[in-house]
Amino acid sequence: MTRVFISRDMASVALGADTVAEAFAKAGCEVVRTGSRGLFAIEPLVEVETDAGRIAYGPIGPGDVKAVLDGTHANRIGPIGEHPFFSGQQRFTFARCGVIDPLSMRGYAANGGWKGLDAAHALSPQEVVDAVKASGLRGRGGAGFPTGIKWQTVLDTPAHEKFIVCNADEGDSGTFADRMLMEGDPFHLIEGMAIAGHAVGARHGFIYIRSEYPFAVETMHEAIARAASRIEPFTLEVRVGAGAYVCGEETSLLDSIEGKRGEVRAKPPLPAIEGLWGKPTVINNVLSLSAVPFILAEGPQAYADVGFGRSRGTMPIQIAGNVKNGGLYEVGFGLTLGELVNQIGGGTASGRPVRAVQVGGPLGAYFPPSMFHLPFDYEAFAEAGGLIGHAGITVFDDTVDMAKMARFAMEFCAVESCGKCTPCRIGSTRGTELIDRIVAKAPRKADTVETLPQMRNAGTAARTHDEEIELLRDLCDTMKHGSLCALGGFTPYPVLSALDHFPEDFGSAHVHAAAAE
Amino acid sequence: MTFTREKDFGTPAKHGETVSLTIDGQPVSVPAGTSIMRAAAMVDTAIPKLCATDSLESFGSCRLCLVEIEGRKGYPASCTTPVAPEMVVRTETDKLRKLRRGVMELYISDHPLDCLTCSANGDCELQDQAGAVGLRDVRFGYEGANHLEGCKDESNPYFTFDPAKCIVCSRCVRACDDVQGTLALTVDGRGFASKIAASQGEDFLSSECVSCGACVQACPTSALIENTVIDKGTPDKSVVTTCAYCGVGCTFRAEMRGEDLVRMVPWKEGKANHGHSCVKGRFAWGYAQHRDRILNPMVRTSVDEPWREVSWEEAITHVASEFRRIQSSYGTRAIGGITSSRCTNEETFLVQKLIRQGFGNNNVDTCARVCHSPTGYGLKTTFGTSAGTQDFDSVEQADVILVIGANPTDGHPVFASRMKRRLREGARLIVVDPRRIDLVRSPHIEAAYHLPLQPGTNVALLTAMAHVIVTEGLVDEAYVRERCDGEAYAEWAAFVSEPARSPEAIEELTGVPAADLRAAARLYATGGNGAIYYGLGVTEHSQGSSTVMAIANLAMATGNVGKPGTGVNPLRGQNNVQGSCDMGSFPHELPGYRHVSDNATRALFEADWGVTLDAQPGLRINNMLDAATDGTFKGIFIQGEDILQSDPNTKHVAAGLAAMECVVVQDLFLNETANYAHVFLPGSTFLEKDGTFTNAERRIQMVRKVMEPKNGYADWEVVQLVANAMGLRWTYTHPSQIMDEIARLTPTFAGVSFDVLEERGSVQWPMNAAAPEGTPTMHLDQFVRGKGLFVVTDYVPTDERTGPRFPLLLTTGRILSQYNVGAQTRRTENGAWHAEDRLEIHPHDAENRGIRDGDWVALRSRAGETTLRALITDRVAPGVVYTTFHHPDTQANVITTDFSDWATNCPEYKVTAVQVMPSNGPSDWQTRYREQSDRSRRIATVEPAE
Amino acid sequence: MSDHAMMSTDERLAYMAEHILRNFATRGEDEAIEATAEHIGLYWDPSMKARATAMADEPGVPLSEAARAVFRRLGEEQPLT
Repeated sequence: MTRVFISRDMASVALGADTVAEAFAKAGCEVVRTGSRGLFAIEPLVEVETDAGRIAYGPIGPGDVKAVLDGTHANRIGPIGEHPFFSGQQRFTFARCGVIDPLSMRGYAANGGWKGLDAAHALSPQEVVDAVKASGLRGRGGAGFPTGIKWQTVLDTPAHEKFIVCNADEGDSGTFADRMLMEGDPFHLIEGMAIAGHAVGARHGFIYIRSEYPFAVETMHEAIARAASRIEPFTLEVRVGAGAYVCGEETSLLDSIEGKRGEVRAKPPLPAIEGLWGKPTVINNVLSLSAVPFILAEGPQAYADVGFGRSRGTMPIQIAGNVKNGGLYEVGFGLTLGELVNQIGGGTASGRPVRAVQVGGPLGAYFPPSMFHLPFDYEAFAEAGGLIGHAGITVFDDTVDMAKMARFAMEFCAVESCGKCTPCRIGSTRGTELIDRIVAKAPRKADTVETLPQMRNAGTAARTHDEEIELLRDLCDTMKHGSLCALGGFTPYPVLSALDHFPEDFGSAHVHAAAAE
Repeated sequence: MTFTREKDFGTPAKHGETVSLTIDGQPVSVPAGTSIMRAAAMVDTAIPKLCATDSLESFGSCRLCLVEIEGRKGYPASCTTPVAPEMVVRTETDKLRKLRRGVMELYISDHPLDCLTCSANGDCELQDQAGAVGLRDVRFGYEGANHLEGCKDESNPYFTFDPAKCIVCSRCVRACDDVQGTLALTVDGRGFASKIAASQGEDFLSSECVSCGACVQACPTSALIENTVIDKGTPDKSVVTTCAYCGVGCTFRAEMRGEDLVRMVPWKEGKANHGHSCVKGRFAWGYAQHRDRILNPMVRTSVDEPWREVSWEEAITHVASEFRRIQSSYGTRAIGGITSSRCTNEETFLVQKLIRQGFGNNNVDTCARVCHSPTGYGLKTTFGTSAGTQDFDSVEQADVILVIGANPTDGHPVFASRMKRRLREGARLIVVDPRRIDLVRSPHIEAAYHLPLQPGTNVALLTAMAHVIVTEGLVDEAYVRERCDGEAYAEWAAFVSEPARSPEAIEELTGVPAADLRAAARLYATGGNGAIYYGLGVTEHSQGSSTVMAIANLAMATGNVGKPGTGVNPLRGQNNVQGSCDMGSFPHELPGYRHVSDNATRALFEADWGVTLDAQPGLRINNMLDAATDGTFKGIFIQGEDILQSDPNTKHVAAGLAAMECVVVQDLFLNETANYAHVFLPGSTFLEKDGTFTNAERRIQMVRKVMEPKNGYADWEVVQLVANAMGLRWTYTHPSQIMDEIARLTPTFAGVSFDVLEERGSVQWPMNAAAPEGTPTMHLDQFVRGKGLFVVTDYVPTDERTGPRFPLLLTTGRILSQYNVGAQTRRTENGAWHAEDRLEIHPHDAENRGIRDGDWVALRSRAGETTLRALITDRVAPGVVYTTFHHPDTQANVITTDFSDWATNCPEYKVTAVQVMPSNGPSDWQTRYREQSDRSRRIATVEPAE
Repeated sequence: MSDHAMMSTDERLAYMAEHILRNFATRGEDEAIEATAEHIGLYWDPSMKARATAMADEPGVPLSEAARAVFRRLGEEQPLT
């Protein structure tokens, strides 16, 4: 009986993987459902086990069974690792994704699973924390805070109870790495969390998954049940979010787990000292926790050897939007933005010229091709007025209206704001109104209230276009420096970058000076 | 009197090692953990703020308080950033000004601009901060999306919520959560749509809101504001005084405009309430101005006649001559008096002095007879002094809280909030009560054990707890050996260890599962600091005194007396019930709990007062009434007490009063007792006099006059007039002189004076040379009596039994919004929450009788019958019914019997065998009483002169 | 006792004494009598005590032996000095 491997990842299923799998099963094949390899242009992907290893074909439809099985199908890729999208990758975190049955404990163990946990258990908690520190791993959720230092704080804070919380509320547009990992290699995340538990003295962990990820929720549930005895005494449970973007912010995520309205908490106290239910809590992104098994299994130096500047190790970059090769590309830091978009992404899907790339989700900055020389690195992006975030890259061609994109950022912030802090709560709504006026080239005339004789200080002259732009910049300044969390604080990134790099879309003829500090 | 707003430091005080930093070039040293905002406020640097206030933990939402810190990126919020050593902070820079103005510009783009006609004009933090940041123009204009169309919520009678004025700072929500602990408020919606909502979007009155006023106090704008401020404007002066409702003793700023009280605002420095309040003290003070108040003295020969208004002189002369006449006809002991636990210490002291010095006997009693007299007996016997052992702050260190026979969220709400906060922090709770009181399960609080015992079985239950503690080896033996009388302990331990006292043996009797009782006893004995709080559900029983001693035994056996976080804490009912007892209001005790038979004490008073004092105890209230029906007791002076409504077996009280020849009532209103009075002397409210109250934690606090007495005299002045008319020569010109006399004659008060109180705010007695700072925790190194005394408490069932005629047990209590007999609260808007007494009855008992919710039912006992409406609820167990006694229309005490505590005659209010049947209307007794009451309250109209 | 509101003063004094006695009962009868007498001495007014003393020797009064003993003791002693 021929064994074939077909992804059961949500994206693959959306592209028809289930019917393809059924067709192969009907043809008498043993179908192993795996995670996705991460390149969606070739999904549904079918890999056929042969004496020469697994031979990939894709995309494949349900009518293609015969051609695939006899090796004649036109979409034959050959060994997947030889595909140019994969050959340059350094898969530390996603090594097993697409290779094994995600819920096979045997498959996991046979492919290097639990090596990290076993190594950790042989070490003292402090030695584990030291290893993570030595690896140079930084928070993959976006903030880039050194993971080892966070763990050290939790380890050093005395408490009867501590928690590990995994932030799997992957809400950024164009990102899917967390989901792919949870669906394609759930034990890997579990192993990372168990290592964290050992490292800081926590016995229980929560995985907070957004409700839009039903496959991931189901997979994690099942995987936790199967791995329970392997990770003892550590225990895990899944909590499902309720569709609020702001719950991806770590402190509102904690509120949400506690059963409260998800609202950002002021820091200090840091969650590492007073987190879930006031107890010391490690809260890390899926990708941060999933980087840990490699570090323990292969040693911190193996991880630190890869990377660029202060950004060490690999980053699973998610390329999306108007792009030919959309997918997940795990590689050490340091490729340039241009390489990612043009070489790896293959340029736009529409074939039109790239006009802008947004990096870091809906609150990331827009970059024009003139900035494609930027290396993928936390510091380089921060210096250029942007951020890496969760490493989502969204590509736009020359039909994009950047003023609309700026408005979208404000609107996104208005929709997703928790409402706690004033700059975000009121500012995002005012920002939307303001950009609408700017785009409509309808600067505000003095309104009814302003023209009342009672109002002695209000401006009565119509506001000029430049004044409205200046107000938008001031508003962005207030939001950036005044907001309580990154939602309001980062909204100015897309707005100001659009304004700075694409002033013509706002009806301004010339390029303004750099954004307000 | 001047008006100064209390300084707001922005965030709560912290206690830690001192940290030094620099703020705007000024060196500051503050405890570690202090916020930059508070540190700045301490050197009078007011960093702009809106969401921060020092009664609440910092929140960091308004973003006005941003500062710059050398060496740190960005602009951290000063409210959420703690100080650090050597930190250099700047609070005013061009960048900060721009950011703050930017934030304020956003606020004002969504706020009404009617500052001058706004009810918070001049008392609005938003207005102040807009001024502070120098906002002059809102560049967004005023026509963007906004909340200006929101409808006002005027459902609460005391305050109004105007959502258009709301800046969503969450101070109200946080106050409701953290300070009050009701969690009635929430932020509804997200982002720009966020708005404050009561419960599930209900109006305030229908929500779970208990109208404590914390939200109103916390609100920085006029979004939540007192209706009195809307009506009268902002106050221009204020006086700090003490609430005249329950025994918590909250202090308030009475904020005035002219002679008008505008609002009562809880005082942050108040050591009993720390700035919190309940619906009564905060809002229900309108009775002071109520038209029902009687302002002129009145006299009549017979209670069938209408009242005749007379001059003060005539009334006082009449009282004196009547009392002297009665004494000459029937003997010295034929008259007596009752002091008021609502009056000041000084007034109470004077009334007992009038009786002892002027009447020449010890016939003085007080309402504590019917509430906490068993506390006096029980704690004096076991510990050596008649008072709770702790201060309220102690609860913050309690690990296990045992609440028995008390309903703090209704009876002592401000203390309950502090207790709830401690419970939310993780302290464990045991509730012993026949009813499922709110504390058993409320937001974020769940009792570890609720032991719903049969009314009347307290002693059996507590002795069984002792059985568990002794037989399972949980006694703190070192403590007992060192601190307690060993022989008494051995006898007690042997007694409680008998199998007959085991939880299993008494399970059927109490109805409490033995396993629960055992677990609760273990928790109390082993869970860390164990604190017992109890109320009238302990004392108002035929074994009230035994129950108090059983509680004291438990506390001693587990080492839970003599340190913070532990103790035996009676929750006192009325504002000054502790004080009235301290002041010698009992017939057997001189001030300071010294027996009248004690020659040395008597000699002290005799020397000071220049008379010989009676060495024999006088009559208790119930004995006075008995003696009256027997014809040997003929005259009584009752100050500020409505015994007809509050005392048990109303018919018995009425018969006693009717048999007297001169009943003098001094009160604010024509109360029920006044229906049987011959002389009515108008009383003054707590707002109209100076003096002191002593709360349940022995804290003596100032009562300060904020307005002249409407009736012309403060109550102490009236007592002095009576005394002098009876031939005494009193010359007090100010209550401080009375306190000086108390201090002179009472060792536990030796260090107390008005000057000391003015200086320190309050002190807890004993305060004397041995305790110059007063005494927050009693029995620290040893018990007042020396060795703590274990007392064997055998369970003796009450003689009040259920049977075929009276198959249910009635227990009585009170409710948050009403107070005692309701004389004050019924004359306020508090009726919005509780307009009538209702009978709580279990669904099974109701169904058996064909009673539906809201039906009129007849409630019958061996003593009498009344009617009221039914409230069907499973808060009460089957077989138990419950009602309140706030309304004279119901007269719950027509039902209660005159069974009482064996040691003190405290009435057995909590156990009456009753029957409940459907009914169509008032009982015959109610109808007759109403008619008589109406007749008795007539006041003769004086024909105008031609 | 079907309606205690109707209790006469004598009955009430007897009842009160019995009630106190019952609460001291664990001490044994002799001590209970002594403790009850002492309690009454401390808390009852002189006219109540006088009536109680008188009742002790009135044969018609329904009084338990223990209560009678208490009231007799009251007459014998001057506990309050």
